[in-house]
Amino acid sequence: MNVVNGVTLRGIEALKVEVEVEMTGGLFAISVVGLPDATVKEARERVRAALRSLGLSVRGRVAVNLAPADIPKEGALIDLPIAIGIAHAMGEVRVSRPTIFMGELALDGRVRRVRGAVPAALLARKLGFPLFIPEGNAREVSLVKGVTAWKVGHIRDLFAHLQGFSQLEPIAPGEEAEENPEPDPDLSDIKGQAAAKRALEIAAAGHHNVLMTGSPGSGKTLLARALKDILPPLSDEEMMEVLLVRSTVGLPLHSSRRRPFRAIHHTSSTISVCGGGTNLRPGEISLAHRGVLFLDEFTEFRRDLLESLRQPLEDGFISVSRASGSVTYPARVLLVAACNPCPCGFLGDPQEPCRCSPLAVERYRRKMSGPILDRIDLHVTVPRLTPDELVQFEGQVGENSADVRQRVLRAREVQWRRWGPLGFQCNAELPERALRRQVKIDAEGRRFLKDVAGRVRLSGRGISRVLKVARTIADLAGDEGLTTVHLAEALAFREGGDLPWNR
Amino acid sequence: MAKHIDLGAAGESLAARELSRLGYRLVDANVRMKMGELDIVAEEDGEMVVVEVRTRTIGRMLPPEATVGPSKIRKLVRTGRAYMDRIGWEGPWRIDIAAITVGPDGKPALEIFRDITVGIIEP
Repeated sequence: MNVVNGVTLRGIEALKVEVEVEMTGGLFAISVVGLPDATVKEARERVRAALRSLGLSVRGRVAVNLAPADIPKEGALIDLPIAIGIAHAMGEVRVSRPTIFMGELALDGRVRRVRGAVPAALLARKLGFPLFIPEGNAREVSLVKGVTAWKVGHIRDLFAHLQGFSQLEPIAPGEEAEENPEPDPDLSDIKGQAAAKRALEIAAAGHHNVLMTGSPGSGKTLLARALKDILPPLSDEEMMEVLLVRSTVGLPLHSSRRRPFRAIHHTSSTISVCGGGTNLRPGEISLAHRGVLFLDEFTEFRRDLLESLRQPLEDGFISVSRASGSVTYPARVLLVAACNPCPCGFLGDPQEPCRCSPLAVERYRRKMSGPILDRIDLHVTVPRLTPDELVQFEGQVGENSADVRQRVLRAREVQWRRWGPLGFQCNAELPERALRRQVKIDAEGRRFLKDVAGRVRLSGRGISRVLKVARTIADLAGDEGLTTVHLAEALAFREGGDLPWNR
Repeated sequence: MAKHIDLGAAGESLAARELSRLGYRLVDANVRMKMGELDIVAEEDGEMVVVEVRTRTIGRMLPPEATVGPSKIRKLVRTGRAYMDRIGWEGPWRIDIAAITVGPDGKPALEIFRDITVGIIEP
């Protein structure tokens, strides 16, 4: 039976790769078969040099087969299993039961850090195989509970371990996750902006996407960053998902229940945001999974990029298809977009005059319309603070993030209880049908909605969004049915409801 | 005989002496095959070794080992393979170069390059 295994990544999942080695006589040559990419092919030079550093010279023809043969193998993480496979075939080490090895080899035999250690640990746990990983990956693997793993600094130590001369250091369960990281920034650090803060609270409670419109320097970015800390902390399962994506990309990991926050620049390419590339990698939207994705200068983004965000915002995952196959990355994000009200940025500002022609404003506004706006439930204006407000150093500060988060958590529990049996998690996920049937409005609220919808020309979809937001507002207040109060507040956050050009 | 042939023959016998002193067991010398000739065939530590001997007088532009180029290596690989086939050797084998430089005082210096095909990705 073949006992030496490596892994290769497919999406954020690790797949087991069996490493079979056959050695015959002849002139020295290592050939690797089983769809290796260039990095894997080059492994033979590193493997031979590393084995040589142990005084082990490989002779004759070496055929390495990576099974299953039809899956492309990528990355240097397969160096170590090839080396162990060769040593096993030479009779130098004994691997007594199926084991997973991963790591890139240096010419002198050191084992280098690789990406994808967390997916590999999950695979090892599922299969019940022991796992050997590079020392540099020890921290991230320590966060995976219930896996038997050892860290390898040098291939010499691994040989000694397998030969029974000495023991490697097993990986102990890592530090507990940081439960309540200090909010950065805290809502109470942000002056003024009561409407925007309220919008963020509603967004966090019902998982509604937000668009903030405001002049330069009004604090849109700061507000967006504050959102991640009023969202409920990551659950164990969610934290694992976040770690999985980060490990797949090869980013450093830290154990924290803080939600991810990723800001993307408007010049970003579609691939960097959605994932892909020649070696498939998750993009920013997957790094923001379970957290906040912030698009500053929303109007400047290329149309095709925004279009490609539609499907993941709807489905919570993104599929990337390439000639080499199709993979799925998680992408459940809360979208926060920000833009200026007009090209110069001062339309509607009380002090600074706007210098844009009506035509320019119109053109700017049209850039924003489009399918992606359909996914945005909350629209809020972020005005610039007056000098008086800015230089106010003491006195009234707003609520802090922890208090707001308590309310958000309560509202989420209400939604979970209500929609859980129907298969939804939050108000924003509700499809039209369920919304009309399930959301109860009192008679007065119904009259009010009809009246306003006629006056401000709300579309059918517009009404749905108002209802969803109103439902979240009621959940925050702990109310059972929708009344005029909830609907009126929700209407203020409708598309174009608060924009200067609609006043 | 011409001078350079004498030099080559002297080099080969010197190499044979030195190699057996270093622990190689001589198997064959000056093997003529259809596609070429093997200077020395020896065995070391369970491995067959095809040794290509190059002898040069100092003062030439190139050191002796540099005169074995890609086409010579290909030829050695082909000839070696055929030889191993003929003697029925199924174990590993390799190619070494014994480079002899004759100094101005007529004293030869021997240098052995082991396993020269390693690192050539497609041999």
